[in-house]
Amino acid sequence: MASPLVLSEDEALEIIALLVTAARTQLDESAEYAPLRMLAAVGRLAGFIAERATPETRAFLAGPLQHMPDAAFRTADPARYAADLDLVCRAVAEHLARHFGLDSDAK
Amino acid sequence: MSNPVLDTIRSRRVARNLTDRPVERALLEQVLDAARWAPSAGNRRLQRFVAIENPLTLRLLRMVSPGMFQRPTAAVLICIDRERVVSFGMRTNLKGLSVDVGTAAQTILLAAHSLGLGSGIVTSFSQAAVRAILNLPERLSPELFVCLGYAEPAQPLAMRARAPVTWQSLTDWERFPRSKS
Repeated sequence: MASPLVLSEDEALEIIALLVTAARTQLDESAEYAPLRMLAAVGRLAGFIAERATPETRAFLAGPLQHMPDAAFRTADPARYAADLDLVCRAVAEHLARHFGLDSDAK
Repeated sequence: MSNPVLDTIRSRRVARNLTDRPVERALLEQVLDAARWAPSAGNRRLQRFVAIENPLTLRLLRMVSPGMFQRPTAAVLICIDRERVVSFGMRTNLKGLSVDVGTAAQTILLAAHSLGLGSGIVTSFSQAAVRAILNLPERLSPELFVCLGYAEPAQPLAMRARAPVTWQSLTDWERFPRSKS
């Protein structure tokens, strides 16, 4: 079954613009801004697709993805920042496995 | 004794959450008028301000400005007029040019705050993209946005949660001790 479209052209263009311009600004900025820019893109993307996503993905967006580390911890507590990001990465992987039926496919 | 200038300086904060309420033109003009009084090296006035109110223009500018977390309902882009810089026989990468951008920006921030507006500086943007969106003449170099709007009561945490900064922690007095080496 084809996956439903969850992003409009306007929204997709906004994400493209953010990522392209962030690639350019990052050349002149402190390296610590790189994850911040990536997470900003994630936040905007999640906001765009939430209403049109499946209930499971919507729950994921409203749950684990909301727990992205605050930029305040990036320099004040780098270890905590990395650990918080790891938690979100794990949650992303778990949602991917469920969404794509990895477990049922492996049986 | 209360000092309104110091009170304004001390109470200003970056506003990253802004409401949809537009900034009234009269207020924006007052902010721009205040910027005209900012210190300028040699009183040369090498900066130019571009005021933006159009919602679609602001939306597109935000798309090409990764550092623009807020959704401003108005913005002032501070540019350096490079033709004017050259006309004074100055190099276009002179340090003082950025200083004047900073004094103008801070003056705008304080003026906006004193008028009840929220504000924040954004320097993380694609100069090429901003130039294209605004059809900026080649002589104008876009340096810094001051985003304006009405602040939401709730604001995100500041980027850095560190020990409190005091004027003492930022200041040394007179001469430094001579190095022993």
